[in-house]
Amino acid sequence: MTQGQIDREFAAAALDHLDALYGYATALTRDRMAAEDLVQETYLRAVRAFGRLLPDSNLKGWLFAIMRNVWLNQQRHDRTGPAFIELDAEDDDRWRFLESGGASPLAELEQSETRVRVRAAIESLPPAFREIVILRDIEGFSYQQIATIIGCPAGTVMSRLGRARDRLRLLLVDRRQGVAT
Amino acid sequence: MNGCGDIRDQLAFYLDDELSDLDRVRFEEHVRSCHSCSDAITGERSFLELLRSDGRGDSVPRSVRSRVEGVLQTATEAERAPADLRRRVEHLVGVPRSVPAWRRFAVASMAVSLALLALAFAWRTSAPEAVGPSEFAVMSVATHQRHQRGSLPLEIETGSPEAVKNWFGDKVPFLLELPTYQEVSGQDRLYGIGGARLVAYRGDYAAFVAYEMSARPISLIVTSTTLAPPSGGQIVVARGLTFHFDVVDGLRVITWSHRGLTYALVSDLEERGEDSCKVCHAGAPEQDFLVELRVDRITGFSGLQEP
Repeated sequence: MTQGQIDREFAAAALDHLDALYGYATALTRDRMAAEDLVQETYLRAVRAFGRLLPDSNLKGWLFAIMRNVWLNQQRHDRTGPAFIELDAEDDDRWRFLESGGASPLAELEQSETRVRVRAAIESLPPAFREIVILRDIEGFSYQQIATIIGCPAGTVMSRLGRARDRLRLLLVDRRQGVAT
Repeated sequence: MNGCGDIRDQLAFYLDDELSDLDRVRFEEHVRSCHSCSDAITGERSFLELLRSDGRGDSVPRSVRSRVEGVLQTATEAERAPADLRRRVEHLVGVPRSVPAWRRFAVASMAVSLALLALAFAWRTSAPEAVGPSEFAVMSVATHQRHQRGSLPLEIETGSPEAVKNWFGDKVPFLLELPTYQEVSGQDRLYGIGGARLVAYRGDYAAFVAYEMSARPISLIVTSTTLAPPSGGQIVVARGLTFHFDVVDGLRVITWSHRGLTYALVSDLEERGEDSCKVCHAGAPEQDFLVELRVDRITGFSGLQEP
């Protein structure tokens, strides 16, 4: 197999995780433009470093770890600290369902409202909790993979995840009916 | 274990598939005979499914996908060694990265002149024909704006052009030269470097240098001409160089190429004509410098309408 073929395989595999990385970047930065820059910077670093990636490594976890390192480096160089600029109002999902034209408006409305509530609840979490929920419950990383990505013991991942879910449960679970929808 | 309390403690681990095989068997044995724990699992599973199904954010914008595909496309160009690999190999085989002293001096001198010329050209208007800005010009303006918004923090903060140049030494695939006229001539200090950082452009790094003059930001972005040949905009030829002047999002951007590098200067400065030179060089002890520049500039703008 030539280097070019390896590169093309890497490019195709790396692109599969673009949406997931963008979601993680948005969770880290809470700013659309910063997330876009972070995604591009992550891929640029990955392209330069993928020769050091072992054949059986988890590409997705490796890309997430790169992204987190890039983001942390950016924060260290940013004297003003993390930029917690909210997403543009016009891009907010709260308004998106009004434009949808499906066959079942009521069902779409309910689904959209649920989605908005869930995302708003995740957004309301402190950054460390939000990050852990994204990595475990959205992206499906194992505890050990998350520990590798964020550079902490697996025990910390477990306890942090438990506390994050407790907060979300309070926000999303209707005590009379179970899970809110 | 196998009491309800133990089961509840392990519920999340079970649903996250983090239990060992033995613990999982014991867990499931208990749940089969315990309606209370079974209901607890059902409720927790519904909660986690809710997070997984509705917690995911938007798909990546098409523009970002294009940028990433551009980065990866570079990685698939097997016929051209990556810049990073090229630098490492050159280092291993002992190829010197520095250029001869006479060339360094010439490049530095030209960089000073080019920056001044570029500022002088920025405030002319109404070219006979103007086409859209180049991709590099648009990227440079976006870089300037993102830096102003705080999205692109500086990776090195220093007021020293030499320190900035040295910092880029092993990070970009070209030798960066910065204007040093103010420091060399001893003129009044009117502007200064704030720092620099790397920015991504077409699968490699470009140099971004932040200047500030009276609290007004000026950005200089530099990359190789191979990646970003100047094009578009209002074209002005002077001293054998071609300058491309554009206004993007209300910001002025001038791009030009010299010795294999393409420069972009972005600012919101509004001064016009020769006054623009005095903005940066009002305290220049060598007034002949401005006179020479003025003559050249007027020659260069002979076909354009005076503001």
